[in-house]
Amino acid sequence: MVGRLEPLLALSAETTMLLLRCYLWKEESLLEDFLTDQDGTLAKVGLPEHPPSPRIETGDDTFVCEICYCDGSDEQFLALWCGHRFCSDCYRTYVRSKVLESESWRIRCPAPKCKTLVGLEPARLVLAGDTAALERYEENLTRSFVNDLSTFAWCPAPNCEYAVECQVPRSAWTTMVPAVRCRCGKAFCFGCKLDDHSPAPCYLVERWMQKCRNDSETSNWIKANTKECIKCKSTIEKNGGCNHMTCRECRHEFCWVCMGPWSEHGQSYYNCNRFDDDASKNARDSVSKSRAMLERYLHYFTRYNNHEQSARLARKLLAATEKNMEQIQREHTLSWIEVQFLSEAIDVLSMCRSTLKWSYVLGYYMLSDNQKTIFEDNQSDLEMATETLNELVENPISKDGPSIEEFKRLVIDKTTYVRTRWETILADIVVGLQENRWQFETE
Amino acid sequence: MLRCAAQPLPAVARECATDHAPRWRPARAPGVCGSTQFRIQKELAEISLDPPSNCSAGPKGDNLYDWVSTIVGPSDSPYGGGVFFLDIHFPQEYPFKPPKIIFRTRIYHCNINSQGQICLDILKDNWSPALTISKVLLSICSLLTDPNPHDPLVHSIANQLMNDRKEHDNTAKEWTKRYACC
Repeated sequence: MVGRLEPLLALSAETTMLLLRCYLWKEESLLEDFLTDQDGTLAKVGLPEHPPSPRIETGDDTFVCEICYCDGSDEQFLALWCGHRFCSDCYRTYVRSKVLESESWRIRCPAPKCKTLVGLEPARLVLAGDTAALERYEENLTRSFVNDLSTFAWCPAPNCEYAVECQVPRSAWTTMVPAVRCRCGKAFCFGCKLDDHSPAPCYLVERWMQKCRNDSETSNWIKANTKECIKCKSTIEKNGGCNHMTCRECRHEFCWVCMGPWSEHGQSYYNCNRFDDDASKNARDSVSKSRAMLERYLHYFTRYNNHEQSARLARKLLAATEKNMEQIQREHTLSWIEVQFLSEAIDVLSMCRSTLKWSYVLGYYMLSDNQKTIFEDNQSDLEMATETLNELVENPISKDGPSIEEFKRLVIDKTTYVRTRWETILADIVVGLQENRWQFETE
Repeated sequence: MLRCAAQPLPAVARECATDHAPRWRPARAPGVCGSTQFRIQKELAEISLDPPSNCSAGPKGDNLYDWVSTIVGPSDSPYGGGVFFLDIHFPQEYPFKPPKIIFRTRIYHCNINSQGQICLDILKDNWSPALTISKVLLSICSLLTDPNPHDPLVHSIANQLMNDRKEHDNTAKEWTKRYACC
């Protein structure tokens, strides 16, 4: 890119490179800005079109380093083209301390308010001899390249040093999951760096995780099932008995229904005559509403959680299956390749589990209409097929069961069916999201 | 002006203050260019010889890395007449890391909070090793004259400054009288 732009802009390679980094490698916006306002663009990096190569000089009697105050003709000093001279020791310490703060090309001339960037060439010159700092500088340069480019991201797997490129624009992330797979094998979402969460888009996942994380549902439960003592504000759950409540904390007696003090109920015990008050009606409505919301959430959460747990079990199952495969191989004199059908089945299972898990998040936020019914039908279809396959591979081959050939045929058939279902549903959801087939609950 | 607040200067600085030799140079380890101590000594000498207007600064005790400073509120600001004490701490990496400066005297200012922390760019991202304490103190003085409500540390004060300048100045004056006048 530098090679392409260099002759076009008529700048030195160093200046071109720093400009590109300043513009986060956005070639078009750099070209546009440069052609309309050349000086303003260059001022951003504080460099001229062709900065002179930096040289460490010595032998100036009038030189005083403004950082350490050393002076005299025996001091070595360096200045960028902006003319701010500092002794080479201070320059090195300065650049080194910035490098340790993970800086690289953004390091500027040490003079106050000076915008001139210490380019790559001067930085390397200054750090020459300090191998550790130099290595760190080069590393920071690479890191900033990945960080600055919106189409690159580091793989979130622990100890993985790869960066992954994804060309899906950010604007498309609301309708699709930018799922990528790193060379290390880790599959993750490029948008939020969580594990691949197809088919639910990032923003729904984020809301869902937030909901699961914070205790909003606990408070919903408290809201649905408890009331507060009007006197001491202790939270009270009524788990049976009549409406005549006595607060355990402050001994306040009140009516559970209208929350008024019990004394006002006079002789009409166990029958609140103020039951039909508007205020108490409203209170009851809101209690039942929040209870319904809680139940709805729990419906989706149990299923989401169930698939997550099953996926975990599937990993265990994989280990068991590998043993099983060896056993079948021995007992039935089959070759290794002939028992691969089992591990394939497990692979398909895990994929389906993940998709099903996140499809419940999608379902939770989806508003009810005919399209949602179709979506849920598809979902239950896949779910059923997945469960059957799971059951099939989980049960070891027994003497009185089907023969190995029969078993193999069954598993392969089911795997193929499930895989096709899975592919179809996933493709359908992607299309549906893109054409806004479903309405989602907004915050 | 109000130099009374400054602590008695340590030996090095006093020597220097009396001896006006232009090429005075404190002893430093040979070959150690840019040693923090040398630099702080040099700054101390400079600030004692030629202190910026309305400011003074010097070490608190024996430790060269901990200073105390006073700023006299600028007369064209609501802080006029007040004497503000500040603590200055030089990190080991000074001057490559900025000094830590906090107000010891309470002040009603949208860029200075109740803990005395100062929101000033040159004390953070825009620090340059070629800046000196004396330049920083001058910047703080000008911050007192021209508060920056667009990058506030205390939002309520900044809002008041933008919406009701008069009331803001009155409160600032009152605080100055209460906390910063002896």
